[in-house]
Amino acid sequence: MKNFYYYYRKYKSIFIYILCGMSALIAIIPLLLIFYHTISLGIAAINWDFFTQLPKPVGESGGGLANAIVGTLILVGLGCLLGLPVGIMTGIYLAEFGKNTFGNIVRFLVDVLNGLPSIVIGVVAYSLVVIPMKHFSAYAGGVALGLLMIPTITRTTEEILKTVPRSYREAALALGITQWKTTLFVVLRTALGGIVTGVMLSIARAAGETAPLLFTALNNRFWHTSLDQPIASLTVFIYNYGVSPFEDWIAQAWAGALVLIALILLLSLAMRFATRDKYSG
Amino acid sequence: MKKNLIFLAATFLFMQCSFAQLQLNGAGATFPYVLYSKWFDVYQKKTGIQFNYQSIGSGGGIKQVIEGTVDFGATDGPMNDTQLAEAKTKQGTDILHIPTVLGAVVVTYNLKENISDIKLSPEVLAKIFLGKITKWNDNAIVELNKDKVLPNKPIVVVHRSDGSGTTYIFVDYLCKVNEEWNTKVGKGTSVSWPVGLGGKGNEGVAGQIKQIDGAIGYVELAYAVKNKLNYASMKNKAGNFIKPSLESVTTAALNESKNMPSDFRVSITNADGKDSYPISGYTWLLVRKEFKDEKKGKALVEFLHWAVNDGENYAAELLYAPLPKKVSELCEKAIKTISYPGKK
Repeated sequence: MKNFYYYYRKYKSIFIYILCGMSALIAIIPLLLIFYHTISLGIAAINWDFFTQLPKPVGESGGGLANAIVGTLILVGLGCLLGLPVGIMTGIYLAEFGKNTFGNIVRFLVDVLNGLPSIVIGVVAYSLVVIPMKHFSAYAGGVALGLLMIPTITRTTEEILKTVPRSYREAALALGITQWKTTLFVVLRTALGGIVTGVMLSIARAAGETAPLLFTALNNRFWHTSLDQPIASLTVFIYNYGVSPFEDWIAQAWAGALVLIALILLLSLAMRFATRDKYSG
Repeated sequence: MKKNLIFLAATFLFMQCSFAQLQLNGAGATFPYVLYSKWFDVYQKKTGIQFNYQSIGSGGGIKQVIEGTVDFGATDGPMNDTQLAEAKTKQGTDILHIPTVLGAVVVTYNLKENISDIKLSPEVLAKIFLGKITKWNDNAIVELNKDKVLPNKPIVVVHRSDGSGTTYIFVDYLCKVNEEWNTKVGKGTSVSWPVGLGGKGNEGVAGQIKQIDGAIGYVELAYAVKNKLNYASMKNKAGNFIKPSLESVTTAALNESKNMPSDFRVSITNADGKDSYPISGYTWLLVRKEFKDEKKGKALVEFLHWAVNDGENYAAELLYAPLPKKVSELCEKAIKTISYPGKK
């Protein structure tokens, strides 16, 4: 009888173990399929011209999406200018001083903002920036992306700061360091790795968004002339080209998707590398 | 490092700023996007002036023109009087419709038996889309296609689910040829369809049709030709069955040009003439009649002159029907009325 129970429990354990392993496999299969599909279809259209030339009209071979690659970087950069400071500081506020009603309200609203469809954010940026300025602009796109980034950054910053041990704060304060210095140089420094993760998540999301850009940054077949004018972005080009009936445009859309994935990957690696030090995990 | 990245982005942008050129922005109809991107590319090489055109849809184009967020718009369905009045109030100028090319809507279908070149009459087409004819071997269809054996299969109607100029041309035609459609459904860029499945965009409709045996729907001519879809010949007003082609569309426009109103807002569906394909329409650029900006006004006027003359030569190879000569001449006259500061 003891023998039976032993085997029963052992096999149950193995069974569940295999089940979990298979679930993990199923979870990564879509990602692998996307990689495989994007690479196999996109690689053909990738060449030097793709990174250095402007888009060509149908029927002319060659041409690239150089303006869109730069445009996406600029838009994400502008988004960061708005999203990073606001997001991180809101996160600090919530974690360090937000244990009150106002903090709860902010927390709730940030979660609501996180759940808003991105097209709604685009419409907000359209009426806030595009209509008063009377034209589409990179700024409007940046505002839309920045608004999108805020909730992710805020919530990850807050969660990470909460994991910094209380004793660190107390030790710093006991040494006579002021509150703001403690927050900035002890708590924030310790949590840097986690905050960077949050920032990268939000950048990846922002870089991959089409909907908020359609009515803000519009798109541009040429180099943008200034930041208050329409600017190209990879995602809008992918969207436009992907639904066209022309083979070279569809191929370029796939290549654009591949470049976008690679760009986000590179950016993540670079930021990981730059913020890697002995304080962060 | 984060700062470095931002700095890098900033450098990029100043790099671009240093060789800033005159750039005009436009947005609107999806249908002429391919031709316009060709035109603007050629024109930029010729003059250095950059026209940035984005296809956000006809409805979006009209909206942006009213709000004044673009230098020019584009649409497949003309602006109505209310919209023109709104634009006048908000922008302080009239908006001109300048026709550029013509598009045709073809009735495409999928029968596994691979029956090509089916013939349809307006009455039959309307009845199919009203849900009155539900089988491929209905007597009304067989009557028109005596040389073919039509299967006993249900007809599955596919239409656009999004607002579109293609839909506008198609239902405008049905309104003209069928009283019941006119009263029950009416016209617009999207209507409440009596029957059928929806697909987003030309590619959505084509995709549905490809998958469903017995499906029928409508797409742009260029789309059907590029994707080698089967499409029907339509019986025109004169009673002939006409296969959609660039020639039969331009012919329809020519035959209707005698009725061209001075503001160009015209429908040419169900056109006169024995060789006219009946389901086609103009696509227009929307421009201000009075420009406040001298450079932009001048650039746009010069471009429009080029477009309705030399530009038309690029249309056919991209599967757009060029304007008849007579209409180009009418456009010339209209373009001359556009004013900008410093114009003689």
